Amino acid sequence: MHVDVALFAHLAAFQPDGKGGRAPRSFELPDGTTIAEVIETLGLPDQPRVVFVNGRHAEEDAALHDGDRLAIFPPVAGG
Amino acid sequence: MPDYSDLRPHDRPDVRVPVPPVELDAELRARLRECSACILGVGGLGSNIAAMLLRSGLLTMTLVDFDRVDPGNLNRQLFFRDQIGMLKTEALAATLMRIDPDVSLTLVSETLTADNVVRIAQGADVIIEAVDRADTKAMIINTVLRDLPDTPLVTASGLAGYGSANAIVTERFAERLFVVGDLTSDVREGHPLFASRVMVAAAHQAHAVIRLLLGFPDP
Repeated sequence: MHVDVALFAHLAAFQPDGKGGRAPRSFELPDGTTIAEVIETLGLPDQPRVVFVNGRHAEEDAALHDGDRLAIFPPVAGG
Repeated sequence: MPDYSDLRPHDRPDVRVPVPPVELDAELRARLRECSACILGVGGLGSNIAAMLLRSGLLTMTLVDFDRVDPGNLNRQLFFRDQIGMLKTEALAATLMRIDPDVSLTLVSETLTADNVVRIAQGADVIIEAVDRADTKAMIINTVLRDLPDTPLVTASGLAGYGSANAIVTERFAERLFVVGDLTSDVREGHPLFASRVMVAAAHQAHAVIRLLLGFPDP
């Protein structure tokens, strides 16, 4: 299945192409791949984050589906 | 509650929906007077947001913070030297009462956790995340989006340091989630919080709230 993955802020450096930026990249993944498995594959650091699929909040144990748009946003400190 | 049925899809930033016709200042303030906001954290962001919302006509607020006023807060937070040691919620309430005695406040002096956010914030027309720690921000965003999915949340991320104020923007990340900041500038050694940049972010958050409550779907 195809899934678009957008990584925000400093997580953009973990896109496999190394080009950074928040633009989504297309990934070919086995059916049933979970968000947590994508996070592990990308090697994202274990830091606070918020995950969206198709513009809606998602839990990391949720399975992705063909055509999904995954976005991961890491809030940073300051207030 | 405003009608959000015509919100633009998150994946179509090119599409602008028509704004509702609003003409009279009095009408706008009357609309805000009927709304409520829950401000999670009343430090640099939250204390200034509360004052801006009150001055804009929003009279009903829940103020949430476990902390007390510290001398180190006075460089950016809406507190005064004679309030040092007071609970921030109570100190801010006293200041807001001086601005407008008609303000209606609920004060919650608790540490925010995944177990109490919903109880504290439910019923508000809009929720404002204004805490300092990244893990608390993520907890609030995750909890509100999951358990209060119909309530708009205005959050902030990336406002520390001396970077350009113009880098701070308001973006819509999801149907009910609005994010203010440059997304990257966190608090760290040599990267402190300046009143000017914190207040730029606070003003963005307050204005995003005002626009949401007036029915404007775009930040």
